Amino acid sequence: MTTETLGDCRKSSEEHCEYLNLSFSPLSAPLQSRWRNNGLSADFLGDYVTTFLPTASEPLDGSGQQAIRHAVTYIANELLENAMKYHERGVDIPIGIHLELSKEQISIRASNGVNPEQARHYRDFVEQILKEDAGELLVRQLEINSGQVPEKSCLGLLTILNDYSARLGWEFDSGPESPGIMIVTTRAVLSLKDLAGAAA
Amino acid sequence: MKTIKDESFEIQQQEDAPRVCFRGALRLSGAADYTPILEMLMAMLDGPQRPIVLDLRDLEFLNSSGITMFSRFVIAARDREEANVEFIASEKNPWHARSLKNLQRLMPALVVRLM
Repeated sequence: MTTETLGDCRKSSEEHCEYLNLSFSPLSAPLQSRWRNNGLSADFLGDYVTTFLPTASEPLDGSGQQAIRHAVTYIANELLENAMKYHERGVDIPIGIHLELSKEQISIRASNGVNPEQARHYRDFVEQILKEDAGELLVRQLEINSGQVPEKSCLGLLTILNDYSARLGWEFDSGPESPGIMIVTTRAVLSLKDLAGAAA
Repeated sequence: MKTIKDESFEIQQQEDAPRVCFRGALRLSGAADYTPILEMLMAMLDGPQRPIVLDLRDLEFLNSSGITMFSRFVIAARDREEANVEFIASEKNPWHARSLKNLQRLMPALVVRLM
């Protein structure tokens, strides 16, 4: 397997983490009926994090908990929506979302299968994100979207960066198990210190 | 009163004033699904020139496609010089202040009341 990484793909240095994996078979239900599931899964991850947080960080007040719950729910929902939307149809590779909670950070990553052309488009977009200021890019993208019916809003990742100050990283894997299909993983990392500070 | 709703959200437009209340979680799957809501908002720009009020206080969640929908409305309002738009937001929803700040970057005259 060859893996290309972009952005911030540093793993947590801590040995002991709480984590949760959800995996969905793309062939078992059509996209539209999966959509409700995205919200349910994202809400669950947000609730899960706030249940376990008091053991992982300094005590948080109600507004701090609410800010973290919302950030996790929003990011999980956006990553899952993208994974569902852009997964290569008819390919029996699970769409996954993984949440990892350590003392210092919350990491959320989603993965799905794409064809090489989609992977190239996505990589181009990622490189643009890495080069430019997320806030400027976000406003520019909103202006572009206003002039046409957007096929894809391209906003999810930009809001994760700009509004939630997450660090983003990407992995593009091509392996022999599924010829012609690449596995794309998008990872968002939230610093608990930053989140608590933002809520204060 | 005009209402658009599904199991997770409800949007009500008042009959006697250009005011729309949003409740619940808006997670529709893309621009096409948001079209009926955007059309409801856009129609108010063609009405008598009064402040248009969008009350988001009970809108707990909005996905990025929903942010795109609001930004399209705000840019359309900005491009009509006489339009006057006000968002009412709540401090209990931590995303309100952040997302509405982005909309204000698109339309500096946009009024945001955080309650």
